[in-house]
Formats: sequence, C-alpha cells, structure tokens
Amino acid sequence: MSLTEAEPAGAVSGVPRRGNTRWRATGRSRLAARRRRAGILLSLPAVVMVVALLGVPVGQAVYYSMTTWNGISSTWIGPSTYSTALTDPIFWRVLENNGLLLLAIPFAIGIPLGIAALLNEHVRGWRFFRSVYFLPTAVSWVVIGMVATQFFALNGLMNKMLSAVGLASLRTDMLAGQRSALIALAITFVWSMLGTNTIIFLTGMATLDPTLLEAARVDGLNRRQIFFRVTLPLLKRFVQFSFVITVISAFSALFSLIFVMTSGGPGFGTTTLEFFIYQSAFSNGAFGTGALYGIILFVIMIVVGLVQLRLIRSEDGEGW
Amino acid sequence: MAAAPAAPGTPVTPADRRGLGGRARRRIQNGWVFVLMVGVAIVMLYPFYYLLNNAFRTQGQFDQQRGHSLHSWSQLFQELPAGRELANSALICVASIAIILVVSTTAGFAFAKLRFRGSGTVFLLVVAALMVPLQSIIIPEYVNLAKLGLINTYLGAILVYAALGTPFATFLMATYYRGISDDLIEAAVMDGLGYERTFLRIALPLSLPAIATVAVLQFIQIWDDLLVALLFLPNPGQRTITYGLAALSAGRTTTIPVLMAGSFLSAVPAIVVYLIFQRYLIRGLTLGMGK
Repeated sequence: MSLTEAEPAGAVSGVPRRGNTRWRATGRSRLAARRRRAGILLSLPAVVMVVALLGVPVGQAVYYSMTTWNGISSTWIGPSTYSTALTDPIFWRVLENNGLLLLAIPFAIGIPLGIAALLNEHVRGWRFFRSVYFLPTAVSWVVIGMVATQFFALNGLMNKMLSAVGLASLRTDMLAGQRSALIALAITFVWSMLGTNTIIFLTGMATLDPTLLEAARVDGLNRRQIFFRVTLPLLKRFVQFSFVITVISAFSALFSLIFVMTSGGPGFGTTTLEFFIYQSAFSNGAFGTGALYGIILFVIMIVVGLVQLRLIRSEDGEGW
Repeated sequence: MAAAPAAPGTPVTPADRRGLGGRARRRIQNGWVFVLMVGVAIVMLYPFYYLLNNAFRTQGQFDQQRGHSLHSWSQLFQELPAGRELANSALICVASIAIILVVSTTAGFAFAKLRFRGSGTVFLLVVAALMVPLQSIIIPEYVNLAKLGLINTYLGAILVYAALGTPFATFLMATYYRGISDDLIEAAVMDGLGYERTFLRIALPLSLPAIATVAVLQFIQIWDDLLVALLFLPNPGQRTITYGLAALSAGRTTTIPVLMAGSFLSAVPAIVVYLIFQRYLIRGLTLGMGK
C-alpha cells in the first residue's frame, strides 16, 4: 500500500484527505471481513456435503480395505489384505476384462471423429442429425442393455443380418460365450458413447479457424488431407478430453449395462472391476474385499486423470 | 490477422479456376455426406424403433414378428407398479436437483466472487471429488446410511444423488460466475445489498442458463441411475422406475414385449427433457471441457 499508511495515524489527522483514506481503508477491511464471512457461509453446505458423503467414505474405504468386514463387525488385518487380493486369480481375470475393454476405446473415439467430420460439412439437416446422434445419451444403460440383449440374441437382428448375407454359419449366441459376451458389451458401449464423443469433437471443430481450412483448400488439399493434416492435429486436446471421458465411462459407468445384459457372466466373462466390487460386497458379503477393490479402481482413475493432466501441461502450455 | 486481400488483377487461384466443375463435384460430395449421415441415423435410431415396435406385441406376435396389440401394456401395469415408480423417480429427481442447485449456486458464487483464505484449495478439493468413482465409496456409504437408518428412505437416496452431483455442479456454477464482472458485484454491495442479497438478487438471476444446464444434466443422470437405487431403495414401495425395470428384467419371468413396454415408459421422461433442453445438455458437456 501507499506511504501514507506507514506514517503514524495521529500525525496529520487534521488533513481531510488523509482522514478520508483511513475511513475508506477501515470500511474496505470491514467489507473484506464481511465478504470472507459470506464466502465461508455460502460455500459451507457444498463443502460439508462433499466431505461427509464423498470424502469421509474414501477414508473409510481405505481403512476397511485392510480389514475383514461383513458390514457389521470388522477385524483389522493390515496392508497384507492387498497382497492377498492381488494374488487372487479371479481378480486378475476381472482386471483382464477391464484391459480388454480398453481395446474398444479407439473405436469409441475414431467413429465419432468421422461422424463429427460428416456433421461439420454442414450439409442440409445436419442439426437434426446431431440431435438424433446425441439421443442415446438421454437413455439409461438399463434400457440400452435390454435392447442390446435382444440384438445379440440367437434370434436377434445381428444373427438375422448374418443369415441374410449368407453367413448363417457364423450365427452365434454372443452373450453365451465369455469372450463373445465381452465383445457384445464393448460394442454396446461404443454405440452408447457415439453421441457424447461426436458432440465433443463437433464443439472442437467449431473452434477451428475457418481461414486455416480455407487456406488448406486453396493449397489444393482434398477433404481427407485437410481432415488428417489440419483438423485432427488441432483437435488434439478434444481427443484427449474424450479419451479420459471414455476410459472413465468404460471403467465406472457400465455397472447397469453389465447388470442387465450379463450379470457379469458367463463365468467371470464380463465382470469388470466395478461390477466385482458390487458382487464382492453385496452378493458375497465380503465388504472389506469390496472396499479394497474400490480403492484399486480409485487409484486407476487417479492415474488416468494424472496422465491426462501431464499431457495437457507438457504439450499445451496454457491448459484448459 | 487476415490474409492480405488479393490485389485487383491478380491471376485467379486454382480454386476459382475449378469454377462450375468444382461446384458440381461439391454437390455430389454433399450427397454422399447426406447418405452417410442417414446411415448413422438408422444405427442410432434402430433401438428406439425396436422398442416401440415390439412393445405393442404379444409374446406370440413377437415370435412371429407380425401384428400388434396393446396386450403387453396392460400386462406391464400388472407386473410393475409403474405409476408409483414413476412418481418415486420424479420425487427423488426433484429433491436431489433442488439440493444440488442450492449448494452449487451458493458455493459456486463464493468460490468465484467471495474468495477467502484457502478458498482456492477448498474449491479444488470439492472439484477433485469428481474423480471419486461411486463404486469406490459405495460400500462405506451404504453402511453409514444403514447405521443412520436411511436405507429404504427417499432421504438416503436423495442425499447420495445430491452429493454425487455437487462437485460437477459447483465447478460449472463457479465457471459461470467467474464470467460475471466483479464491478457489478462490488457495485451492488456498495449500494448496501450485502453479499448474501447480492447473490440472491443479482448473481442468481443472471445464472439461470447455467442453472438449467445443471438441472438437465442431473435429471438425466439421476433418472437413469441404477446402482444407487438398487442399494439404497431395495424396498419395492420406494423403487425408481429404472430400478423397477431392471428388477423386472432380472426376474427372467417377464416376456420381452412387456420389458420393451417398460423400457419405453421409463425412457420417455428423460427423452422429453432431452428434446426440450438439449442445448443446455450440450452446453454442460462443453462447459465441462472448460470452454
């Protein structure tokens, strides 16, 4: 602040300008105090709710992951629960499913990129189509799973289409095999993500500088070249964002879909980590083990988040 | 930084030279784009067609894939207390969204405009809760609420939904309030409104679009949720429509046309909300990217 404040207050108290400054200073600090009080008061409800219902349970989950716990009484074991859990072959079988589900991610991102490029041509009716493509976002996984089950059924549309094109020998009940059921789940997942990711990329394409694209066109690049050489590099951060959203969905949003389509089966064929948590605790009563798997899922999510943050920081300077 | 305008008399660019031929080719290309868009639309809409088509069939008609009737609808209402469950869903959605809106607008305003020491850190912690997967905390959450006697009560589920929605809603509201000028807020405070009333009278009305975004996003999320309802509302009387439908399907005794009718019924409210408010939904998604 200015020199005037450093001087002893009483020295030139007769000067009106000085008095005015002091008045303003105390008035401002009183205002600042009120502002601080209002800030704390207004943010308190949200903070209390997040801490009580999201924060505390994380701590509890860490604690209970090191116990055997049936929901009522718990016995402390210690960190050795983790080495026990990590040597369980079923756990690795489940994690393998999560890993295999990641193979669907290139499709869940690549196809919407293509669709967004189509919409971005702004051919007549593109707004209508955008609404149509985004529609599944409003529908629950329960409903999607129910229709998907019918689609993949032995007498469902997929097998009918195979027969129609003379591939009747390929007819299968996809949900009856462990690997094929996981593939069916992945296809349904990709379908459901199309709308969300398309909108993300479309938003990204709207931010592109049209003169840049026009320049590329004048330089004689065709549409495909423009897309791969100009548009796609500029969309990098949108691709990263959709990658994170898609991974998070694949690992933590498919519970209802699995519940309806396969219940995790056949065997452990479609049990992913998030479903395994539910099964361990609420079907088998092993609350401690369930909490442990929950912590592992949380750690995976944090790693995905940090990788994303790292990518943005290192390549994009300004961040978003 | 526009490109320098072409001086009069400069030779035509290759693009100009293409002339009519280029335009014709562009029209053909647009035709292909349109055809492809229709193809994608069929893939996206087929499930809805399938739902509707088979909801109006008996099991026999379903097997034959021929003919329609209203039989499965009357069957549905016998097997599923659909009215009750729709009302449960609506009640839980409205109450949860109300709580989310109250805490996220106030907190968003505080974090954006009423900074206090440590407010940045607190804000980050609230937003960081976004990264907590529901499955990671669902077990302690369940046990905690069970100890409080809140299982099978609307309040229990409402609290869980409200807590789950709060981090993102707070982030969104704070982002929005940051766009309102500080001078406007200061002026209102200087006029003697006080911070609380400045929030209520000035900031809140200005943030209606963001409020709509939060409400629509949360409505669809909560309406479509299964896991929380499954655990916290196991009692048939309190079930939501999405859970009721999943339970019906898990029972394996209900015919497919009845399940399709139920699916359609449960999906309609969220679809209607989507169709009316889709621009808020899209805005929410893009705001999530920090745009």
